Amino acid sequence: MLSALFNILIFPGLFFLSFLGTTAEYIDRKLYARFQNRVGPPWFQPVADLIKLFAKSEVIPEEADPVMFRVVPLVALAATVTAFLYIPIWGTEALYYFKGDLIVIIYLLTLPTFTFFLGGWYSRSLYATIGAIRSVTQLFAYEIPLLLAVLAPALLANTWSLSEMTEYYTVHPWYWLFNLVGFGVALIALLGKLERVPFDSPEAETEIVAGSFTEYSGRFLGWFRWAIDVEAVVGASLLAAVFLPFGLSLWPPLVFGLYLLKILFILCLLTLARTVMARLRIDQMIDFCWRILAPVAFFQLIFDLIIKELIL
Amino acid sequence: MKIIDKIVLWARLKSPWILHFNTGACNACDIEIIAALTPRFDLERFGVQLKGTPRHADILVCSGPVTRQIRDRLVRIYEQMAEPKFVIAVGSCATSGGVFEGLYNVQGGIDQVIPVDAYIPGCPASPQAIIDGVVKLIKKLEGAA
Repeated sequence: MLSALFNILIFPGLFFLSFLGTTAEYIDRKLYARFQNRVGPPWFQPVADLIKLFAKSEVIPEEADPVMFRVVPLVALAATVTAFLYIPIWGTEALYYFKGDLIVIIYLLTLPTFTFFLGGWYSRSLYATIGAIRSVTQLFAYEIPLLLAVLAPALLANTWSLSEMTEYYTVHPWYWLFNLVGFGVALIALLGKLERVPFDSPEAETEIVAGSFTEYSGRFLGWFRWAIDVEAVVGASLLAAVFLPFGLSLWPPLVFGLYLLKILFILCLLTLARTVMARLRIDQMIDFCWRILAPVAFFQLIFDLIIKELIL
Repeated sequence: MKIIDKIVLWARLKSPWILHFNTGACNACDIEIIAALTPRFDLERFGVQLKGTPRHADILVCSGPVTRQIRDRLVRIYEQMAEPKFVIAVGSCATSGGVFEGLYNVQGGIDQVIPVDAYIPGCPASPQAIIDGVVKLIKKLEGAA
């Protein structure tokens, strides 16, 4: 009981994830600033932002649904933190695992997007509604390529459990190199899931104010920002576990350090994409995801099938 | 002062999010405010971020005299912000009405309509002056607590 509480609240649960999440946001903003030849924010900036938001009073619009408006941000945070429990970080075994937990992780990572939709929808504000509908429209574009790309390595390992997958790739150390195309696809899809810049039309501040979060203030906005920070780390951890499963049989603290390096690498790639690209319109985004990203993910799937049947 | 209040004050001073609102300016002050937000001055060093919605913002940065037409909108924007909120008046017109003082369609300075915490004079106020004004507001808050 006590150890379960420790796992949920401290490590690798809420506290540890929040620490990683705020650090990830700092790294993202600092790198972004350095790419633009600026100095950038100090190291405590994301924490200061969160504390300030939690100390502010909150305004709930009269027309908004009072219950949904309050509950939805907490659901976003809870879903992302839960997903992390199934991802292996200091070895080949996650804290909890069962057959098919890969699907559960993807499902739990879909929940935040739905909470963005529900939060925007129940704000009953025009900008928030447009943002909400865009975020769900975008969901249909990136979710399929992401699922296909993540399933390709699972197919090669012949299991739907993330822990068994990492074990398979530890026994066969170089097989992860077959999935590099899928890694690229998943990385681009992750940009869509996190609503980062090339795919940030759901919260495009230059056209629809702040998208789904337009009416959110104070504490509730804080929960959402917290959830987004954590989601970035969980998404990067999922990609690291699925596509970069090397060096997992080393000494556990070393594996943990390697894990931190892997998610740092993925976060840097996400920031690079944010810096060099401009926002895509929502229809361009869907075009790109269905015409290019999904076929490439299919190619990866078929490639893995052929390799599995003919060579391995 | 309790330790939690100290932490909250620290966070508030380190993360001022601003909302820019033109109450009837000739655009000169607006351009200078935008210039203050460019990478050259890099206000993100101090945690300043430009927000699109009054719900997220802590500081309302107003420029220009309050025209009679925009008066109700200014009050509504101000009321949409969550507490604690602060207002900065940028430019001579925003502080007093400037050359538009006494015109039939002009109410006067920002403080005729909503309470103002800091005045930044200048026609237009330069980016350095605007940043100095924000720093002085933060110093004032630090001293008041």
